Amino acid sequence: MPQTDEETLSLWREQCRRQMKRPLSARLKYGFVRVSNREHVNRSFATMSDYRAWCEQHQPSYLGYGRAQPTAQV
Amino acid sequence: MDEPNRQPKFELAQARELAEALAQHGADYLFLGKAGAILLGYPGTTLDLDLFAPKDADNARRCIDALRKLGFHLDEETEKALLTGKDFVQIKDGPFDVDIIHAPDGIESFSAAKARRVMEDIFPIASLRDIIASKKASNRRKDLVDMELLEEFAREYAAMNAKPLSSAFDQAMKRSGGDA
Repeated sequence: MPQTDEETLSLWREQCRRQMKRPLSARLKYGFVRVSNREHVNRSFATMSDYRAWCEQHQPSYLGYGRAQPTAQV
Repeated sequence: MDEPNRQPKFELAQARELAEALAQHGADYLFLGKAGAILLGYPGTTLDLDLFAPKDADNARRCIDALRKLGFHLDEETEKALLTGKDFVQIKDGPFDVDIIHAPDGIESFSAAKARRVMEDIFPIASLRDIIASKKASNRRKDLVDMELLEEFAREYAAMNAKPLSSAFDQAMKRSGGDA
């Protein structure tokens, strides 16, 4: 188990290098997740702000579509 | 009991069908977002495909024809949204989920992004610089979680795909036809 952030990042870098060496078929096969309760509704938004606002109102917050809090000024 | 809403996984065959259909219809687009990064080798996962397309009615018509050929159901409202270039069009009524983005946050223009694009096999992909810029500008919590990992991936990608460096002296010698 990695003990430090640097060790964790080092493992991540190795994982990136391994993945880049894998064929495109493997990258796609394991990179795209399918959900079974998928809705079949198209939507469109005039602006990206409208889309972000819709996500904040309609997506559960744990999915992380909400805007991050502004960074505190030091 | 109802059958669960099953759909095939998105794999290379479907990705090729999509890219080939868009190419056959002459549509201009780039893979963007995490899907673009995954095509380049990012070891992550995503639920849908983000395609960056220019705000151009003729190009939108070509995209519509290509998507319909693949079995996407584009109703009148979706078609109008694409033709008029609404910033974000989410298409979920089809064999897989596709988001068509006409004005992604953090990228100045389609033409600039296209000039920086990377080709992976037959897939035109926005540069990692643009993928990261759009995620940063979107300021969503889920994107910020990925940011450090994406930036590390971008460094590894650059290192693995770097062209050999040549110094100013090497280049001057090459121009003058001399040996360094």
